[in-house]
Amino acid sequence: MAASKIQALWNHPAGPKTIHFWAPTFKWGISIANVADFSKPPEKISYPQQVAVACTGLIWSRYSTVITPKNWNLFSVNVAMAGTGLYQLARKTRHDYFSEVQEVPAKER
Amino acid sequence: MMAALKAFWNSPVGPKTTHFWGPVANWGFVTAGMVDTQKPPEMISRNMTSVMCVYSALFMRFAWMVKPRNYFLLATHASNESVQLYQLSRWAKAQGYLGKKEPEEQH
Repeated sequence: MAASKIQALWNHPAGPKTIHFWAPTFKWGISIANVADFSKPPEKISYPQQVAVACTGLIWSRYSTVITPKNWNLFSVNVAMAGTGLYQLARKTRHDYFSEVQEVPAKER
Repeated sequence: MMAALKAFWNSPVGPKTTHFWGPVANWGFVTAGMVDTQKPPEMISRNMTSVMCVYSALFMRFAWMVKPRNYFLLATHASNESVQLYQLSRWAKAQGYLGKKEPEEQH
């Protein structure tokens, strides 16, 4: 019984033998790459790229709940993208706009 | 002309559907990529750019195979594939991976 269930999944029209499975699955790579980049210095973060990641994530999260059928796999991967993108943006804006305050007194001398 | 516009407006992958706006969001990657080509290669993320190259290749295939076939999504990912491959080559060159064969004999 378990074997036939696995077979059913394996042969599913949106299953692991098809692009309908691998393309959305690989989208997790974007969030994983972003998490790997959390350790990079904020100077190296690209504002346009992270805005694109965050906005795509937010828009697609919304749309995956209004399509038929609702696609929770697509929803979760895009929530992760939005989350990592927003975090990278927070890191960079914090570095660019909120940490220079300490340097100003030194320059005035 | 009007008929073509009407057909587009009412298309099953047109602007009244999510099949249209999802790919529109994905053009953000293309725009960001193009903006980033003007920045120094030290700012390029090897991780993110390599992932983008595989991601857009997969989604070009996805856009072709999905029903209804989504040419707009295909164009989006073909464009992103191009810009991300270009960025990857800029990164590789800056790292010294695409070194010239006979540097002394150049010009």
